Amino acid sequence: MQNNMNEEMLIIIENFTPKIKQCLHQTSYQDREDLEQEIKLKIIEKLTTKEFENTPSFWNFFV
Amino acid sequence: MCNEYKIIEEFFYRNREQVKNPIIRSFLADAQNLYLVQHAILYPNDCNLKMVDETFQAHYQRVQKIKYISNLIYFFSLDFDKKKRRLQNRFLLVADSGLMDDGKRDEESEEEGLLEKIENEQLFKGLQKLTDKQLQILEMIYVKDYSIKVIAETLKTTPQNISNLHRKALKKLHHIIRKEEI
Repeated sequence: MQNNMNEEMLIIIENFTPKIKQCLHQTSYQDREDLEQEIKLKIIEKLTTKEFENTPSFWNFFV
Repeated sequence: MCNEYKIIEEFFYRNREQVKNPIIRSFLADAQNLYLVQHAILYPNDCNLKMVDETFQAHYQRVQKIKYISNLIYFFSLDFDKKKRRLQNRFLLVADSGLMDDGKRDEESEEEGLLEKIENEQLFKGLQKLTDKQLQILEMIYVKDYSIKVIAETLKTTPQNISNLHRKALKKLHHIIRKEEI
């Protein structure tokens, strides 16, 4: 279970790397590496702690 | 076979509005999911329905996570830059601290209050507009170099209060000086 989660996190971060790189332009050149690291830390923190809402049942959508 | 197609088609026709829902559409875009759903429509027993539900819920959670993280990255980078800028504006490079000739002069000036030390006219005017208490706290922090805790004890209040007053004073000062510049 733990391994599974770590793997999922890695995949998510990898998939989001282009987006992260794009957002690095928000800050000045010398802070970009810091920001990249902070973002990744934040993602890991949120993925481990945040509880996502309950999902509706698929059949609720249909009659 | 023909009959099966008919049932499925009828089901989707009946729910054509729902199928337009982005979450449903993205779920059905996966061939495997579509197959599961079709299977469940044809043979709607508990096991089949549950299987669709479970895959759908995994899909839904994944979408939620992606959306959340995407927003997180964007707003976090904005905040990060704001924070950096604020710190940079507050702690401008101080190049004159080493120019004080010796400890003697340092001690001498220790006796003076905060207002006597100010050379910048704008800053002086700004400081005069602060309340006595705010001035007192600024003096203790920047001239006497006391810690927040010690100040709180001398003024018989809490460190949080001192910290708040300190922050408010700086903010007010910043405001006043900005206005003067314009």
